[in-house]
Amino acid sequence: MKQSKVASEITGKVWKIVAAPGTQLAEDEPILILESMKMEIPVSAPLDCKVVEILVAEGDTVSEGQAVAVIEG
Amino acid sequence: MAFEKELEAFQRRTEAARAMGSKKRLAERQDAGLLNARQRVDVLIDAGTFEEAGLFARSIRPEAAGISPTDGVVSGFGRIDGRLCGVNAADFTVLGSSSAEVHGKKQAFVRNAAAQNGHPVINLMECAGGRIPDIMGAAGIGRAGEHSRYTRTRTTPTLSAVMGLTYGGGAFACINSDLVVMRKGAVLAVSSQMATSVAIGEEMDPQDLGGWRHHSEGTGFVDAVVDTDEDCIAWIRKALSYFPDHANATTPVAPIPPDAEDAVAGILDLVPEHRGKTYDMRKVIAAIADPGSVLPVKDRFAKVAVTCLARIRGRAVGVIATNPMFKGGALDPDSCDKIASFIVLCDSFNLPIVFLADTPGFLVGLESEKRRLAGKIMNFMAALELSTVPKVALILRKSFGQAYLNMGGGKSDTTASWFTGEISFMDPAVAVNIVYAVKREDDPERFEELAKEVAKETSAYDLAASFMAHAVIDPRETRSYIARQLDIFSRGLTNGVGAHRLADWPPAF
Repeated sequence: MKQSKVASEITGKVWKIVAAPGTQLAEDEPILILESMKMEIPVSAPLDCKVVEILVAEGDTVSEGQAVAVIEG
Repeated sequence: MAFEKELEAFQRRTEAARAMGSKKRLAERQDAGLLNARQRVDVLIDAGTFEEAGLFARSIRPEAAGISPTDGVVSGFGRIDGRLCGVNAADFTVLGSSSAEVHGKKQAFVRNAAAQNGHPVINLMECAGGRIPDIMGAAGIGRAGEHSRYTRTRTTPTLSAVMGLTYGGGAFACINSDLVVMRKGAVLAVSSQMATSVAIGEEMDPQDLGGWRHHSEGTGFVDAVVDTDEDCIAWIRKALSYFPDHANATTPVAPIPPDAEDAVAGILDLVPEHRGKTYDMRKVIAAIADPGSVLPVKDRFAKVAVTCLARIRGRAVGVIATNPMFKGGALDPDSCDKIASFIVLCDSFNLPIVFLADTPGFLVGLESEKRRLAGKIMNFMAALELSTVPKVALILRKSFGQAYLNMGGGKSDTTASWFTGEISFMDPAVAVNIVYAVKREDDPERFEELAKEVAKETSAYDLAASFMAHAVIDPRETRSYIARQLDIFSRGLTNGVGAHRLADWPPAF
C-alpha cells in the first residue's frame, strides 16, 4: 500500500473533518469539508483508501495546493 | 502486352511506396499493439474511398530516396461516415515521420485543399521533430518556413490525434487544431527528451515532458484521453459528427433517441436545495441532453468549468457550465481559458451555446490574481461578446457578480432562470461582512438579520421583473425550454451561419 498526500484545490477554512484516521473511504468520499466562496467544498479521497493522518484542524485556513491529509491506498 | 515494362515498374513502385518503413519497425509496432499509418487510415476512412496524394513523394535528398516512401506521411482525401475529409497520417516507420520539405508540402496540400473546398481535416500525428540534416543550415531552416502552416483561419474543422511521440511540427499541427485526442503512452512536446537533456541539461521521462496527464490535466492542450489507436479514431469519428463540413454550413442533425425526454423528469433530485451544498453539474447536463450524446471536452482540465458537445432534440450544441463539485463552482483563471477557447470553437462552426450557471463568482484570492485572473476574465468576455452563434443562458441556483455576465447572463440571445435562481453583485453573506463588518461567528443574530436584508430582491422573479430574465422556469422544463429557444434564435436570415469573428483567435492559451 502506497501512502500519499491529499491537497486542497482551493483556499478556504476547514469547516468539518469527516473521516478520522483509520477510516476506510471509497473514491470520491469526503475526507473533510472546507468553507470557501460561501460553499461547503469537500476534499475527497482520490481513490479507494484508508485515512492515515489528518494534517489540519477544524477552523484552520488552508491554501490552494496545501496537503490536508495522508492516505494509504 | 503494350507498356509491359512500364506497368511492371508502376506495380513495383506502388508496392514499395505502400510498404512504408522497414519490416522490423513495422513488426515492432504491431508487437506493441499499435496500428501503422495505413492501418490507421483504413480504420478511419470508409472502405474504398481513400484518394491518396503523394504516394510517390520522397525525401529531397537523393541518398535518402530509398528509405523515405511517401516521405513519412500518408496524405489524401477520403470519406468518414460518407463525409469527404482531408487526412494526414504520420508514418513513424519512415524516418520518424520527421518534418522535412516534401513531408511538409504534402500536409500543406491537404490542409489548403480542404480549407478552400470545405472539407474537415484529420491529423493522425506522430513526429520525431525536424529531420536532420534536411533542416540544418540556413537553407534548411529557411525552407521550413516556406509552406504556411502556422496561421489557421477556422474555415473547416480540424481534429487531431496524438498517437505516438509527437514533437516539433507534429506537436504544432495538433495545437493548431480544433480538438485533440491523445492515446495514453503518446507524448506531445516542442522538443524530445533527448534534445531537452542536451539543450538544458534536464533529464526526464517523456511522459513528464508531454504525456497524457500533463496535457489533459496540466496544460489543457488535449481534449480527451483514450487507451488505444482504435479508440483515438473512434473518438475523432464521434467528435466530427457534431461539426459541419465547413464554417458556412450548419451542423448535422441526428435522430432523437427513444426515451430522450425521460431523464429530465428527475432533475430536481440532482441539485441540493441548500445553496451551499455541492453537486455534479455533469449529471444535470446528462439529464438535459439526448441520451448518449454528451462528448466532454477538456474534462480533466480546469474542472470548475464543464465544456462539452451534446445534442438537444437532435441538434448539436456546445454546453458551458460551472460545476459546484469543484472549487464550489467558482471560476478560476484556467477555467476562463477553457471556456474562451470553447466559445471560439462553437462560434467558428455554428454550434449554438447553452450556458448553465451555478457559481458563487470568480475565484478571488492571491493565487488567482497572480495567475492573471483579471486578464483571463476579459479574454473570456471578449470571446463571448464577439461570438454570433445563438446563445441561451440559464441560471440554476445562483450566479453572482461579473461571473453572472461571463456565464452569458444578459449577454445571450435569451436569459432565463430556474425558480431557484439567486442573482446579485455578490453573495449576500459576503456583502454583510464587507458593508457592515459583521461576521457570523461574532454576532450570529445580527448577521442573519443583515443577511436577510441584503438578500432582498435577488430572486429569479426579481430578475424577471425587470425583464433581464425572459423566463423563470421549472427545472423539469429545462430541456424543452432550451429546444424552443434554439428554434426561436435560429439565425434564419443567414441560414444558421454566424459571422465568425473569432475565426482567427489564437489557437492556444
